[in-house]
Amino acid sequence: MLKLPSVPGATPPRPGTPAAEPKTKLDNAAEAATAALGWLDERTALSGTARFVMFRKVPKGTNWFYTLGTSTMFAFMSQVITGVILAMFYDPSPNRAYESMRYINNDVWAGQFVHGMHRWGATVMVIFIFLHMGRTFFFGAYKYPRELNWVIGVLLVLLVMIMAFTGYLLPWDQRAYWATAVGVNIFASAPIAGPYLGDFLRAGPDFGATTLSRFYSIHMLVLPGLIMGLIGAHLYLVIKHGTTAPPWVTAELDEELRSEEV
Amino acid sequence: MNRREKEQYLREYAVLKSKGKPFFPYVVAKDGGMVIVVIGTILTLSYLLGGTIASKADPTTTTWVPRPEWYYYFVFELLRVVKPSSITPLATVGIPTIALLLLLLLPFYDRSPERHPLRRPVATTAGVLTILAMAYLTWMGAEGGAPSSIDMKTPPSIVKEGGAQLALYEYGKEVIPSSGCLACHKIGENGNPGPGPNLTRIADRLPEAGIAQTLRNPTAPMPSFKNLPPQQFKAVVNYLSTLTKEHEEEK
Amino acid sequence: MTGLANGGGGIAIGMIAVPALGFALAPNLDKKPLAWEAVGTPEEFSQDTYVSRTITLTPGAGETGKSTVYMRARNAEIDKEPVDDYNQFIAISTRCMHLGCPVRYVDASERFICPCHGGVYDFLGQVQGGPPVRPLDRFYTRIKDGLVEVGPRFSVNSELKRFSPRDPAQDLDGIGQYLFPSRPTIRKLPGT
Repeated sequence: MLKLPSVPGATPPRPGTPAAEPKTKLDNAAEAATAALGWLDERTALSGTARFVMFRKVPKGTNWFYTLGTSTMFAFMSQVITGVILAMFYDPSPNRAYESMRYINNDVWAGQFVHGMHRWGATVMVIFIFLHMGRTFFFGAYKYPRELNWVIGVLLVLLVMIMAFTGYLLPWDQRAYWATAVGVNIFASAPIAGPYLGDFLRAGPDFGATTLSRFYSIHMLVLPGLIMGLIGAHLYLVIKHGTTAPPWVTAELDEELRSEEV
Repeated sequence: MNRREKEQYLREYAVLKSKGKPFFPYVVAKDGGMVIVVIGTILTLSYLLGGTIASKADPTTTTWVPRPEWYYYFVFELLRVVKPSSITPLATVGIPTIALLLLLLLPFYDRSPERHPLRRPVATTAGVLTILAMAYLTWMGAEGGAPSSIDMKTPPSIVKEGGAQLALYEYGKEVIPSSGCLACHKIGENGNPGPGPNLTRIADRLPEAGIAQTLRNPTAPMPSFKNLPPQQFKAVVNYLSTLTKEHEEEK
Repeated sequence: MTGLANGGGGIAIGMIAVPALGFALAPNLDKKPLAWEAVGTPEEFSQDTYVSRTITLTPGAGETGKSTVYMRARNAEIDKEPVDDYNQFIAISTRCMHLGCPVRYVDASERFICPCHGGVYDFLGQVQGGPPVRPLDRFYTRIKDGLVEVGPRFSVNSELKRFSPRDPAQDLDGIGQYLFPSRPTIRKLPGT
């Protein structure tokens, strides 16, 4: 297995020792890269961050269940990339949205594939975020000192579900239209605030010309921004408190095993 | 968790962490493997299924049967089973809000220091039951057929008869949903469970004459169907009189 | 000094937030213009069955601003609510009052049926079964220049009393009308 590498830039580049072998081109390139990283680190102190993020220790016994969070995050990154590409071709006006989706599906090179990636990526992301939440629940990982991170995680689940809901309307097909109509009416059935919330989401008392662009703006600007910010906070707290150990691994038990071995 | 328990946890965790492995490369390699599986799944799904779109949005429709994306099936089914109207707000607002609050505030009411799932019987049972309930609702939502058609297969014995009998059977199968029967009755996977009784095996309980009689003079709130054109009425009675246990099981 | 910093920051944030929020909330305050639309001559509508007509709910949204209404002539035997200028013809909305799915009128059973969660309405649009919380919404109708015109939408409670239009799933019986207040964007006609 690999050994813990030293952080580039943390040690200044060594001057070439006289008795060493003649430098190859590779050595020169490596030296140049190290020097560049050193220059960057001197001005940003990023090596400390890198050490904080990458070279921290993770307790013994972590297993495949601990990869679910990363999987969700990468599914989200895939959604960001495919979403940006789809936005290049999509037209959020009620008279043109459906035609632009047909254009993406039928005429754009790999259009249907990227559309499919975005659609099925949403499915995969929803599955993994729930699996990740289930793991956290059953391992008791939401307990002290990680309560706040659980709260952030639940907000992320909520935002992902709203993301899936707002993205749903955009193709402007029958499935999209009616599912969104039902969804808006669910929000609108909240007492007192409901009627106003419904008006806000629809941009008026009925579905109109600006409803679609409203959902588009929420789907591709507001929610991704919030999700990215919360993922940042989530990761910071994960790293600060450390990854939990599985609940069946305890320090005492480990100690006993060690003494038996001796 | 009191202060002593907190300190004990932090101490124990520090020991475990100090004996652990570095994040890079051990965890990164494992995560990377899983990420490849995840992205591979997305690529495979989009290659096999692609991004399909239905027909263009049409708010003037009166025949479209709206169904949500599969991950909202549990909400869909919840909305379907919660009736009558006096408790409808329970499904639209009540249950989702309570569930969200319970989830959000979990670490603030579950404060015991115990982490092992087997030594937290209440939490583990609640979690497992929630998952089972959601899985069950998702399944029921996926199975819930529309009241606009009957999806039951024509059994081979009737196909064998062929001719006028088969034609009448198929006609009845079309007339029933288009006459609105499935709004109150269930036949196979289609229709609503109530207010009327399930008709999937109606012929076991009522003879053909009884079915015709009920259609003409039903008990309220069922409306009378005596004004149906005679050919349609005959087809409806004929179809319903084939609905036996054997019919359901014959595939 | 701290007060000045806090106050200045607050004002600066407010100066950005207030216009932005106002812009986002504007559609909640804009009153929807009143529109009447001719849908046919009085002879086209009978007393004992419904015919469907397509009307425009939101101008400028193309096909997606339209909706379907079911229409018939008033039948004094079953329509017990007091007669006025706006109910010589009954125009019933095709939005299910559970959550807004498209309902269909079925002639054979004289019922409105929703394909989503099992809502059933009788000939008058009153709830017969399933989860809907109030009868189907209606539209004002009037006769002008020999043509039947369909106007704005209104909601009804279980006694078919008129209310300002509400969204589906909003109960209008008992305290419902206070739990789900009417909005400035869309109101029933004054005096009805």
